[in-house]
Amino acid sequence: MKLGHTEKIWLILIGLTLSSAFLAETGQRSWSLSLIVAAMIAFKGRLVIDHYMEMRNANRRIRRVLHAFVTVIPLMVVITHAFGPQIARLTAL
Amino acid sequence: MASELIPAAECAVPPAPTFSIPDLNRVPGNHGIWVGIFCVLVEFLLFFTVYFVAKAHHPEAFLKGPEQLATVAGTTITMLLLTSGYCVVKAVAAMRADRQATTLRWLLLGMFLGLGYPLVKFFEIRWNVAHGIDGEAGIFYTVYYYLTLNHLVHVFWGLLGLGWVATRTAVGGYSARDYAGLEAAAVYWHTTDVIWLIIFPFFYVWR
Repeated sequence: MKLGHTEKIWLILIGLTLSSAFLAETGQRSWSLSLIVAAMIAFKGRLVIDHYMEMRNANRRIRRVLHAFVTVIPLMVVITHAFGPQIARLTAL
Repeated sequence: MASELIPAAECAVPPAPTFSIPDLNRVPGNHGIWVGIFCVLVEFLLFFTVYFVAKAHHPEAFLKGPEQLATVAGTTITMLLLTSGYCVVKAVAAMRADRQATTLRWLLLGMFLGLGYPLVKFFEIRWNVAHGIDGEAGIFYTVYYYLTLNHLVHVFWGLLGLGWVATRTAVGGYSARDYAGLEAAAVYWHTTDVIWLIIFPFFYVWR
């Protein structure tokens, strides 16, 4: 059976979700886990935006805002991992 | 006769839209839904900022917190939302082909799977409370309840939207030439997917 485009995207999303569930069982804080989490958010977010929402063939400005959202959050994941104590100091009341 | 007064070009029925060729100005759905979606994105950007600040202040709570939550609940919700989203993509594609009955079937299946989310959430919270995980169990769980329940509220709006467009589809309210309302509900529903794809690793995976 030949899979259609939407079916392939769905399978990739489900596969990545199950991989994340496996990672959840590691229970360790590490740079590799933070980088994988950041990459998963960026990649899965783009798949939904471009293929489920069909933004790859639609308004460029809206697409840029949506892509920015799934870029800023992964960046914040990396920054929080790298500079957690500094963020805590900066945001202390 | 009206047809004599109106130029032939204006009388012609516009062709059904196709998206094989990119139209980089096309706004999926309507402008109003995008105002709402951008408000949701700003709202959750603020919530996620709260999450990052809380994590920076309490790294130990955020290291231990995910261990106590039921990963299977978070994973099941993710798969339900992604599969429901897939059904809604198929519903929009079916409407583009002017297949209203197929559209309705995909929409109802999408709603059915989407309703699985509050059901799983109900059992997850019951399990949490039975294990002493309530809103006062610590900072990690306070943020967890705050974000996940807020997301659930947005999913309810999305389900109401899907219910509305399913009803309109059932009474022939959409066609291949006019389905902006259906597409608006679809892009909102997919937005709740995008938000959940961030919430899931934050509370069940990341340490």
